[in-house]
Amino acid sequence: MGAVWNIAATTVGEAIRRRVLLVILMIGVLLLTIIPSLSVLSARSDDSVTVGTMFAVMRGTSALLAIVLTVYMIPNEIERRTIYTILSKPVQRWQFFLGKYLGAVLSLLLMITLMTVFMLVVYAIFQNHHASRLLSLAQQPVMYWIEMSLLAAVAICISTFVTPLINIFLSFGVWLVGTVLNPLYDTIANNSKSIPIMKSISKLIVSLVPNFADYDTKNPLINPGQPIQNQGLYYFTTIFYGVVWIALLLIIGALIFDRREV
Amino acid sequence: MWKIRKKLYGVGAVLLIVAATLQMTYIHPKWRKDYSPEAGGLVASQLSPEQILLQLFGFREFLAGILWVRADGFFDAGNYDAILPIIRVCTILDPHNIDIYATGMWHIAYNFTDQEQRSNRRYIPIALALAKDGIKNNPNTYELYFETGWLWYQKIDDNPSEAVKYFQEMVKKKDVLPAREDLLANAYFRDQKIMTGLNWYFHLYKEAIARAKKDTFYANSQIRDTLESNIDNTIIRMIQRGYLAQKRNDGSYEKGDYDTKPPFNVGFSAKVTVVRPRVLRVTGTWNVLPVGCRIRFIVRDLHYPNALPAELDWNKNDNFNFNLPTNLTYMQDQLFCKDQRFDRVENMSKDPTMYPFDSNHYLLEFFYDPAFGAPHIQDKFGWNGVGMTDPNFLNTQIRKGVRVIYATLELSKDQILMRGQWQNRHATVETSNFKESSPTESMTNIVKVPSLRGN
Repeated sequence: MGAVWNIAATTVGEAIRRRVLLVILMIGVLLLTIIPSLSVLSARSDDSVTVGTMFAVMRGTSALLAIVLTVYMIPNEIERRTIYTILSKPVQRWQFFLGKYLGAVLSLLLMITLMTVFMLVVYAIFQNHHASRLLSLAQQPVMYWIEMSLLAAVAICISTFVTPLINIFLSFGVWLVGTVLNPLYDTIANNSKSIPIMKSISKLIVSLVPNFADYDTKNPLINPGQPIQNQGLYYFTTIFYGVVWIALLLIIGALIFDRREV
Repeated sequence: MWKIRKKLYGVGAVLLIVAATLQMTYIHPKWRKDYSPEAGGLVASQLSPEQILLQLFGFREFLAGILWVRADGFFDAGNYDAILPIIRVCTILDPHNIDIYATGMWHIAYNFTDQEQRSNRRYIPIALALAKDGIKNNPNTYELYFETGWLWYQKIDDNPSEAVKYFQEMVKKKDVLPAREDLLANAYFRDQKIMTGLNWYFHLYKEAIARAKKDTFYANSQIRDTLESNIDNTIIRMIQRGYLAQKRNDGSYEKGDYDTKPPFNVGFSAKVTVVRPRVLRVTGTWNVLPVGCRIRFIVRDLHYPNALPAELDWNKNDNFNFNLPTNLTYMQDQLFCKDQRFDRVENMSKDPTMYPFDSNHYLLEFFYDPAFGAPHIQDKFGWNGVGMTDPNFLNTQIRKGVRVIYATLELSKDQILMRGQWQNRHATVETSNFKESSPTESMTNIVKVPSLRGN
């Protein structure tokens, strides 16, 4: 396991040094800064607009970071031939693959934490709320981190068999589909005009595609006051669901990477 | 090696089954219940592609805010029709924005008027459907219960039990403003639940005293004093209007001298003349001398779907849509009575889309309900019209527990549009008792409105 952690730590260092990631992060942070000025869009619901938009910016930025960070990870190692020096040591391919992924997840944790802190500071300055409100808002970025870890698993899995450019579109597409899965499924399932076969197909898709919408739990944070039962259980189950999907994707990725010519 | 791979395939399959089971049995239903923005679904219609993208990426509230600002621009420009779809899209994007629902309801119910400033009441079921949607998405705040109750109480001005229903829900909410709570008592009075209304006043008064003691803020003592005055007035009215005597049911009302006795003959009669195509002159008699009476006048298709006497079934829409019955005509106005008569010209010629006159026959309805009358008129007529009568048009059937005045006349499409055999003729229809009158006629049958001071 030591090899895995060493690779992960190196990956974090590389991620911090990558300018493209820093630029994306900076744009996200800048957007978070100007969001409180958008509260004028709603006279009484200014808090809803501010929080909702801040979370949307954070989610979008995190998704972009997750994709850009992971799609180049393994192809770059192969292209620069640095992979040979690693694999020539007593390091298994699956260890290298897992280490790279864990490095990406830790980098995402770092970046999301940075954005969260910045968001909470900006929110505290402009909206002037109690600490308890700030703490409750911090729940959502945790879910985003799990969501982005899942997205990173999708991207790194796909990166074992396609080029980075195609991977960007594929990963983004999977995330987009996974993001609209819940409302899409509800629209089809609750529409009396939907034919039964369509309902079955949509159910199958919801079951077989990683569902990113489950991690979007900001609605009660935007509109506080709605009692939610077993919130902890929901968080635990969705995190477990994410871990299951990540494990599945990493197994698939490791199996493909194991057979790949490098 | 192959064995390990085979095992991993098996593990992968198990993981997929576990994930799918979790998703369908617990996570999705729970997300739908607690974390979905309620209205759910994909809002594709009415949005441009970039707006759909914004929505998909979670900028729902932001997008709703932008659209709402845009709607404000349309409102300022008087382009009211353009606002309707925006209201709907905004409520789907941000179903917890109370302002959009409240303003949207008000806009739909009140602001679509004809050139004579008469509301297009065909929109009221749409406004109510929006209200129901708002309440479904925001059940924990008083505001939309208040707005909906107020729509029934003030705009629809009929079916008081509906206003009572919404105000009852309103007062259960923790965030209700104390100054709004007494509306429930007024709604009870209209619904003929006089004693319940008085008891509600007492309940509020008790709370107001406690609040004023706890906090000497001026508004608190003002609410307490207002309630005290309302209670005094109500008790005096209950006595003077003979309400308590009637309730005793021991013959004391029949024997006693109450303001509502003897019942006053309002002497209603009416005549309607088509003066120009789509323009009606409505004249008639109403013996009540003091100003304050307004008679509801309706022109509608004879076979208007869901029509009830002097109103429509406003509650028929449960799902919000913009399917306005554009082929149907429904015009409602108030006839202001002065000098014991009314005389008004109803011009429907400037708004052919609002009054299409597609059908062949039209019903003209006249309606007066004392339960909705001004307090000084109610002092004579009572809450339920016990102090009012009419030899020809008194009706005790169409509104439960209330004596109302109700009369109907009919006109044909050709008569209203002055075509066919009516091309150069002015059709006139009148009640059988109609007698021409003028403001200068004698005022022998004057209703004496009692004063609360007793002189």
